[in-house]
Amino acid sequence: MNAVDGSDHYNKTSDGKWHPQPPPSLLTIILDTNPHAWALLSSTLPLSVAIANLLVFINAHLAFNNSNKVAIIASHTQRAEFLYPIPSQGDLVQANGSTHNGAQHGLDGNEAPTADDANHYRPFRHIQTTLLSAISKLYKATTPESLTPTTSIAGALTLALTYINKQSIALSSTTSSKTNADPLVVPSDPNSVQPATLNPRILILSVSGDLAHQYIPIMNTIFACQRLTIPIDICKIAGDSVFLQQASDATHGTYIALTHPRGLLQYFMLGFLPDQSSRKYLVSPTAVGVDFRAACFCHRKVVDVGFVCSICLSIFCSPPEGAECLTCGTHLRLGEYGGKPAVLAKRKKKRKKGTDE
Amino acid sequence: MAESDDEYVQDISDDEVEAHQVTRGAGAGSRATGQGSRGAGWEVTRTWENVVEGADGTISSTVEGLLEAGKRKRLLKDTTPLQRGIIRHLLLVLDLSTAMSEKDLRPTRYLLTLRYTKAFITEFFEQNPISQLGIIGMRDGLALTLSPLSGNPNDHISNIHKLHEQEPKGQPSLQNALDMARAALFHAPTHTTREVLILFGSLLSSDPGDIHATISALVSSHITVTIIGLAAQVAICLTLATRTNSSLPPSQTYNVALNEAHYRDLLMRATTPPTTPHSTAHDSGIKSSLLMMGFPSRIVDPSPTLCACHSRPTRGGYLCSRCSSKVCSLPTQCPACGLTLILSTHLARSYHHLFPLRNWREVSWARASRPGQRVCFGCQTLFPERPASVRLQSTSGGQSHDRMSLATSRSQPQPPKAAHTNSANKDGVSESGRYECETCERFFCIDCDVFAHEVVHNCPGCQSREGLLGSVTRNVRGETEVLVEGVAG
Repeated sequence: MNAVDGSDHYNKTSDGKWHPQPPPSLLTIILDTNPHAWALLSSTLPLSVAIANLLVFINAHLAFNNSNKVAIIASHTQRAEFLYPIPSQGDLVQANGSTHNGAQHGLDGNEAPTADDANHYRPFRHIQTTLLSAISKLYKATTPESLTPTTSIAGALTLALTYINKQSIALSSTTSSKTNADPLVVPSDPNSVQPATLNPRILILSVSGDLAHQYIPIMNTIFACQRLTIPIDICKIAGDSVFLQQASDATHGTYIALTHPRGLLQYFMLGFLPDQSSRKYLVSPTAVGVDFRAACFCHRKVVDVGFVCSICLSIFCSPPEGAECLTCGTHLRLGEYGGKPAVLAKRKKKRKKGTDE
Repeated sequence: MAESDDEYVQDISDDEVEAHQVTRGAGAGSRATGQGSRGAGWEVTRTWENVVEGADGTISSTVEGLLEAGKRKRLLKDTTPLQRGIIRHLLLVLDLSTAMSEKDLRPTRYLLTLRYTKAFITEFFEQNPISQLGIIGMRDGLALTLSPLSGNPNDHISNIHKLHEQEPKGQPSLQNALDMARAALFHAPTHTTREVLILFGSLLSSDPGDIHATISALVSSHITVTIIGLAAQVAICLTLATRTNSSLPPSQTYNVALNEAHYRDLLMRATTPPTTPHSTAHDSGIKSSLLMMGFPSRIVDPSPTLCACHSRPTRGGYLCSRCSSKVCSLPTQCPACGLTLILSTHLARSYHHLFPLRNWREVSWARASRPGQRVCFGCQTLFPERPASVRLQSTSGGQSHDRMSLATSRSQPQPPKAAHTNSANKDGVSESGRYECETCERFFCIDCDVFAHEVVHNCPGCQSREGLLGSVTRNVRGETEVLVEGVAG
């Protein structure tokens, strides 16, 4: 919209005066921490190596711009959890109603007991210690019973979105005084979303496949990202996921399936480091053909032409028996389905009658 | 004819304050029903009386509370899963008469309507990807087809864009517009809804015949009409809205916009698919049926070929799964064989209407002070601590209140508002700034509450403990029993 009426121009100049720096970008990383999948990968890319690479990548992202932020969420076997930022004990003790900015936690003093390494930039070290302790805590809390080959990507995506939402509200309320970031404006008006204040993006490190029962929640998050123009980048280390392919395609993110998992850091640095605003000037890795085929609910067959219940929108490969929807149980009326083009047939009859008489 | 029309207008503009009863016949008492709820139109709402000084002598706490109430008000809608008419046929009727050049809505009613209509079209197809929309204009006593029924938002928007070059003119005719809408919806299949949405700026309708006959015809062909007025309530509109929506209260079908934001809200509300209650499903003419749809695959040709929809050379496109003709964009109907072509993602867009996220409930201080959750589960923001002044009161009264509200909310699907005796709870605002999902029992802040219900339609908490849902509900029940016993003891 801004490009049409030229107000873009004014925004730029006023922004240039007030913030000489480009808008901060928030990188939300979703790390699939399914122990099964990482155990399978242990010969080529152990989790420890992956996390070490990830930390280098995060440091690079933070070094790009002083105000850049990062959040890391674990998508574990049966739950999703924040790995960074997590409220530290110091915050919980002294908290009394004051508004805290999530990314600034712990920079103030509560890290003092650990050895202060003069050669380590403090924010980097803070993230490193927090992330490593959170991951080890996560794995210690994992019991053998809870080990399933599943991962809760939907939950992690939802957490990422709520966090991004909160951060963009917090940022726009502090920087711009006149345009109050009303969160209610965002959903109702997709044209006036304020990406100028915060450049959020989501990166998913995926090691496992799809889960059919998470289809609806994952789709909900994809549509939310589409509305808020948040790209979802996928770094596919193992497994195969149609949902995630669709996610990156719908949100104009980058999808890279690793052919050489050992070079993880290089994929990170070259494929995923540029943020939304700088991607315009770069040729990003193009996605392969995206699988949009629909599978029927009854036999899980991939269909070209399907039958859809008008009430619950379930897809069937052939009209179900007894003309009753298998999902919602509604009695359905069956049509001709193009067997006879009704309009043409009627005209012919009329003409025939006319000639006969 | 023209002269008499002019006089008619004159009469009305004189007593515009009293507003209404313009068209023939119908309901002198309608004004009372329309405006009774918010007092007479000239009475100013005394917003400043709601602001009360807090204990510390500032009004910041009250202002924050009012802001939260505003955010939350939009959320507290009915979330029981209902059967909805997902596949819709909607005709949007725009008033293009002289009344639209009024400047009470900035910049003018006309320009604002055009702008909102474009936003509406986009949003409508976001929410209802497999529905059809058409646009009719009322100008100079005539009904004009501005944009025929189709499923392509870009066509509609470019058609609306052309209206910027024209001026609103003459009188509107509701009857002509309704007749045209009825003709356009005549071929709509029975499994779809047939809806007309009128944006009406005038206070009159100059019709060639008896509009009541047209209304009866609309009722018999199961067409529902909803109206958004821009000036004041008009009796014939109320009659029209109530007669065509017999099962719905008039407050849902006919509203007058108070200001620009309210206008927008009213318009955007129409993007949610209407409910079709089971009992009246047969009466309303909506029958369920099985539809044949094609799920085409995307192709990229090495050289441009003509598309079947616009006859333009394009490289990318989709091939119809039945007749292999190329179309540019989805969803659409195949121009050659008439098969509905969609992507499976389009179907998924409608799922959140079918499986809505339940409202979260407010958390009292007594419940909030239980250990464990000090940050919002969604965004990791710290919750406010319980102020010392509240602690004294709630040790005696607060806890039992909490238990009561817990017990009622579990035993009944929707807790009655009267159960919340605390004044803060009347607006749906939580005194502790926390909101709790009843399924996963996680606490969230107001921003996450609004975001989860309006945008994502997922509960972050429930999605984060997949597979444990069964055990959680069992825990919930056990705990409720304990609490109820506590109250009895």
